[in-house]
Amino acid sequence: MIPRLTWMLARPTRESLGVTALPVVAFGIVTALLIAVLGGAQAFWSWTDDLAITYQALAIVALALLIVPLTTLGGSAARLSARRRDDRLATLRLLGATPASVGAIAVLESAALALVGAVLGVVASFGLLPLLALIPFRGEPLGLGSVVLPPLALVGVVLGVTLVAVVSAVLGLRRVTISPLGVRTRQDAPRAHWILPVLAVLFILVTALAMSALSGLGSIVAILVVLAIGFGGSIAVLNLIGPWVLRLVARGRVRRARTPEKLLAARGILESPKAAWRQVSGTAMVSFMAVFAGSGAAVLDALSGAEGADSETRMLTADIATGLTITVVISFLMVACSVGVNQAAGILDRADLYASLHRLGMPPAVADAARRGTVMVPLLVTSLGSAVVAAIVVFPLTGAALLLAPLSLVVIGAVLAAGILLVRLGLVATAPLLRRASLSVPVSV
Amino acid sequence: MTSVVLEAQYLDKFYGPTAALSAASLSIGASESLAIMGASGSGKTTLLHCLAGIIPPDRGRVLLRLGGTETDIAALDERRRSQLRRETFGFVFQQGLLIPELTALENVAIAPMLSGVARRVAEDNARQWLGWLGLAGLEDRRIGQLSGGQAQRVAIARAQVTGASVVFADEPTGALDSRTSDEVMDALLRSTTAQGRALVVVTHDADVAARCSRTVHMRDGRIQPAEVAA
Ligand SMILES: Nc1ncnc2c1ncn2[C@@H]1O[C@H](COP(=O)(O)OP(=O)(O)OP(=O)(O)O)[C@@H](O)[C@H]1O
Ligand SMILES: [Mg+2]
Repeated sequence: MIPRLTWMLARPTRESLGVTALPVVAFGIVTALLIAVLGGAQAFWSWTDDLAITYQALAIVALALLIVPLTTLGGSAARLSARRRDDRLATLRLLGATPASVGAIAVLESAALALVGAVLGVVASFGLLPLLALIPFRGEPLGLGSVVLPPLALVGVVLGVTLVAVVSAVLGLRRVTISPLGVRTRQDAPRAHWILPVLAVLFILVTALAMSALSGLGSIVAILVVLAIGFGGSIAVLNLIGPWVLRLVARGRVRRARTPEKLLAARGILESPKAAWRQVSGTAMVSFMAVFAGSGAAVLDALSGAEGADSETRMLTADIATGLTITVVISFLMVACSVGVNQAAGILDRADLYASLHRLGMPPAVADAARRGTVMVPLLVTSLGSAVVAAIVVFPLTGAALLLAPLSLVVIGAVLAAGILLVRLGLVATAPLLRRASLSVPVSV
Repeated sequence: MTSVVLEAQYLDKFYGPTAALSAASLSIGASESLAIMGASGSGKTTLLHCLAGIIPPDRGRVLLRLGGTETDIAALDERRRSQLRRETFGFVFQQGLLIPELTALENVAIAPMLSGVARRVAEDNARQWLGWLGLAGLEDRRIGQLSGGQAQRVAIARAQVTGASVVFADEPTGALDSRTSDEVMDALLRSTTAQGRALVVVTHDADVAARCSRTVHMRDGRIQPAEVAA
């Protein structure tokens, strides 16, 4: 009975087609990107010489970095498919369905959407792989043969993505039962004690000091360990103080807002600084990583060139830069997708409100500007803030990079700007949804 | 009836084969309160939406007479109708449909701000209306922290703060108990007809209709021939 009910509810109708398509597309993108990343990593594993182990370690680091934006995107896609179900689930409950069967339907639907998306993503990845094959590592293109995953691995990816959807749906359901449907509860950012930001600043300073002593460490392994601790710790600190900073910024903006869209945007952030942070926190990590590792790679590159190092080391540093750029670009793609998907979910959530505001005479353009503000303000604060923190942490490195390889910093900046632009595109892509919500005249009300 | 502020002439509105309105004609006096009653699906909301320029009728005219000029709302484009809704009309819906992340004060002030009124002025105005509707001290509450009746009065303040000439209310008391419903009607009438403004209320509640100066009944998209007012 449950599969039949699920189909009845999930079956795309004309109005819901766009909404059903969105999570499917999102899961498709997740899958295609995941396959590309795994394909690249696989190419590294085909090497067997001395240097291979270093490349494999770096590939693992890149994969680890991509896990956060990947799960965020998977979670958003799952949330979106849960959102469009909410009202129908409530109806089912009214009709007497048990919570367990309602839950089963929700999870099944998410899984089905994810499965369809993942299969489409596999198809799409075949368009992506030839491009990936062109990327040069160790002096020559990777080659199509080494980046194509074996069929079994593709099946594994599809199942993995579906599993992520199922897990997020289950977690999402738990949240729904905790806070009643349709009730917006106010989740304040935990009122951070003043000690928290102070500790955060202290940690950043200490890390910066440790970094400046980095050159004293002999082995590359020791350097990598210190870098990893500094990197991981700073990311954790950013995640701790991020919502707190956003709340502070939003408060100031509420006070200063002169136009309806600015006021709405600032209040939207203040409503839940944590949610605002979660939406863009992927960029915090990406932009931190871009500055942190980017300037590191630039310095290594410059040093190896200057000291007449062997060609192997020079190639390694060049490859690190390549790998880094790819990781940053893919992360930003994922963040942009999850922003788009989150926005779609949010608009559906508030469709009634948007329709009523339109009836009061609020032009859809104002509502859209407000919505853009709730993303772009945190996005800019977050990405610039993390870039600055990263710059402080690696000040000795950044300073050197500036002197030794100013061009690489320009590249880092350009990559960040492109990433922000990508996210903006994710916002623009969801604008038609808002227009439609505004112009709809619900039969009731 | 002194002067007519809004007049609907022979409105037709179709949704597919359904005639939601057929040849509906109606006029509303400048300081009149009009109740629209009728069975569910009889076209009350559709009529209200056409009168307020939310949707254009398929046929017919909606004449707005203000300051000596006459405008056919049905013939205006969406941008101009939007402006009219902002500046000339006010709305109160069944569930306030207020913006949950804004405070009560900001919810009211946002209406004039949309027309370009400075925030300070808009908020001062909003504060006065809230006070006048008995909500002094609740300005900084968020909507979730207000009772249904209080939220509905915030919505009334929002409908009024721009100095609307006509206020439209679609089942404004539909979600309230009878005492709170009385209070909300008090607030609505006090802020409209008592100030020389028109009020159009769609309602299922005979008590609400009884407090209006006139009632029309709808059936199958038609306005029934005049009856003795309830
Ligand atoms: N957006 C729409 N699409 C299709 N049909 C509609 C739409 N809006 C209204 N209708 C139809 O038009 C008719 C009149 O609807 P309307 O909402 O005006 O009724 P109502 O008198 O307000 O009813 P209620 O008392 O239940 O609110 C109904 O048959 C309804 O199904
Ligand atoms: Mg109605």
